[in-house]
Amino acid sequence: MSATTRPGEREARPTGSAEAEGGASREPAVEVVDLEKTFPAPGGGTLTAVDGVSFSVARGEVFGFLGPNGAGKTTTLEIVEGLQSPTAGVTRVLGLDSHRDRNRMKERIGVQLQAGAYFDYLTLEEILDLFGSFYPRQVAPEALLDKVGLLDKRKALVKQLSGGQAQRFSIVASLVNDPEVVFLDEPTTGLDPQARRNLWDLVQAIHDEGTTVVLTTHYMEEAEFLCDRVAIIDNGRIQALDTPLELIHGLPAAYRIVFATHQDVNDGELAALPGVVEVASPANGAATHELRVSRAQVTLPSFLDWASGRGVEVDDVRVLPATLEDVFLSLTGRSLRE
Amino acid sequence: MGKLIVSSLKLLYRDKQALFWALAFPVIFAVIFGLFDFTDVPDVDIAVVVEEGSPVSEGLLDGLGEIDAFSVTSLRSLDVARDELVKGYWDVVLGVPAAAPGQPLLLFVLYNETNFETNQFAISAIERLAGVMNLQIAGVDPPPVAVESRGIAGKSVEYYDFLLPGLVAMGVMNFSIIGMSVAISRFREQRILKRILATPLRPVKFLTAQVVARLALALVQAALILAVGVYVFGANLYGNVLWLFALATVANLIFLNLGFAVAGRAANPDAAQGIANAVALPMMFLSGVFFPTETLPEVMQVVVRYLPLTPLIEAMRTVAIDGESILRTGPQLALLGAWVAVSFAIAARNFRFARA
Repeated sequence: MSATTRPGEREARPTGSAEAEGGASREPAVEVVDLEKTFPAPGGGTLTAVDGVSFSVARGEVFGFLGPNGAGKTTTLEIVEGLQSPTAGVTRVLGLDSHRDRNRMKERIGVQLQAGAYFDYLTLEEILDLFGSFYPRQVAPEALLDKVGLLDKRKALVKQLSGGQAQRFSIVASLVNDPEVVFLDEPTTGLDPQARRNLWDLVQAIHDEGTTVVLTTHYMEEAEFLCDRVAIIDNGRIQALDTPLELIHGLPAAYRIVFATHQDVNDGELAALPGVVEVASPANGAATHELRVSRAQVTLPSFLDWASGRGVEVDDVRVLPATLEDVFLSLTGRSLRE
Repeated sequence: MGKLIVSSLKLLYRDKQALFWALAFPVIFAVIFGLFDFTDVPDVDIAVVVEEGSPVSEGLLDGLGEIDAFSVTSLRSLDVARDELVKGYWDVVLGVPAAAPGQPLLLFVLYNETNFETNQFAISAIERLAGVMNLQIAGVDPPPVAVESRGIAGKSVEYYDFLLPGLVAMGVMNFSIIGMSVAISRFREQRILKRILATPLRPVKFLTAQVVARLALALVQAALILAVGVYVFGANLYGNVLWLFALATVANLIFLNLGFAVAGRAANPDAAQGIANAVALPMMFLSGVFFPTETLPEVMQVVVRYLPLTPLIEAMRTVAIDGESILRTGPQLALLGAWVAVSFAIAARNFRFARA
């Protein structure tokens, strides 16, 4: 049986959070309760990779895990996918236990692993055909390849693809069974900006068809651009979970006012302006100053008044929203890139 | 399942470099050994030093020249001849002294003590020749007792015939222990095993397809080695080839199990290659591929008898050389059967589809 059409009862993306989920009859796409995973540490003792994680993902949502390498993103994802067993806690996908109902669950999800994971000596078409044959229903390989602009590469091997093409293929290969939930582990790591943009379009296209997407990333732009909701994870714990906008607005300083001047500036005066949370002075010789402010519309007029009153010539004044990077910094005291 | 087996065969067949080495290695052996000529009679280099020519010495030289295996050279000085014998130029030096009237002509033979077989052969030939000449000189002609030897066309078994089944067995072993462990280890490294685990496919089906593909390709390899041996180098094969294939397939299950066990232990494909070689190489030299295991020290024979490659080679030779049915290889089949079970247990203990 080869069904390419989506069952009618599936609805388009809900706009709100997990609680905006429809009737009680519909289980969330993903439900994780008190998940823990420990590994034996190399030198004895145990290493806690996931430390009491709970969350749920509504159907049709794009849900992202944002965190640095080693934060526990992949481990959490692989337990939900049924690839690793949890030390404690429960994971359910589409109402099915990831471990006890593993096989029924696997039929309805799509999994893309962090790297490669396809045969060297089968063509793209053959790989999709083979993987499709593992499922009760499958999408035609041509339709899948067409979706990611690789139809002319159907006879090519994975190693003959560019990095971006290979990554697009690996995502589309997780769609062979027309899954209801797709898990993407760091889908854009190692790609150039153009290829990353292409992949974002692909993820959005998958999302637009009503598929739930759960992804991990350590790029804050990616989480901000793609995800309806983001869980910021560090040291195996969820530090915050909300829409990107709410996460940023939850910061004491949701905006930055950036300006440049060559004149000496009294930081104390700047700090005293209304709404200023923090003043970041430039390093020796640099001209760019930064004010972290809670509400830009309040601070900006008084800042400009201060500049003209003091005769400080300011150049290149910009108001920037804070980013998830700032959220991560304020939650963990570290930068994502560390 | 059919699609999975076809895909597994494609993976094997399209990896041309790996395929070439897996298939060609034992075939290269078959070619190299085919080029050697193991059927030559020993060639005896004889130096003859005649002190004084006589009808007797002439007759002796003629007689020696007629023996195919002798290459005869006349030298003048006995000292030089002895010297060169010590240096290994000659196998035998025959001295013909000057005849003293009324005395028997006393021939003397110097021989290299280190080369026993050649000496015995040469000395007995020279003695026989002297006997014939004595009878002739004594006027007893024709001699009262003569020997007529007649060759009976029997089965000809040469070293190459002995070697060929060994090469087939060796080929199967290497193809499976090394090939399977490296392939699975690479699948693991490329996360293909994990990717398979994320689908509803049962892992055992994936592994079964791998096994079936390798069993099939191993038979292609066995056929290739036998074809080169028989059609290119004229090896004698007295038994039924189908029995050989059946034996190869049973034993291949053992080698594939060992391949899985190695893949389970190896950290990466390079390590798998190393461990697999460590398992296969000793068997290749000990289990009688090239030499009969009877040439090993007795202590070692006790152990070697129970290695899985040994009964396979013995059974294959029973079929290929003695022309027997596979049913006549009962003890070997029993040992192979036991190894299939034991190796499966080893594989089950060491191999995990997914590592936690």
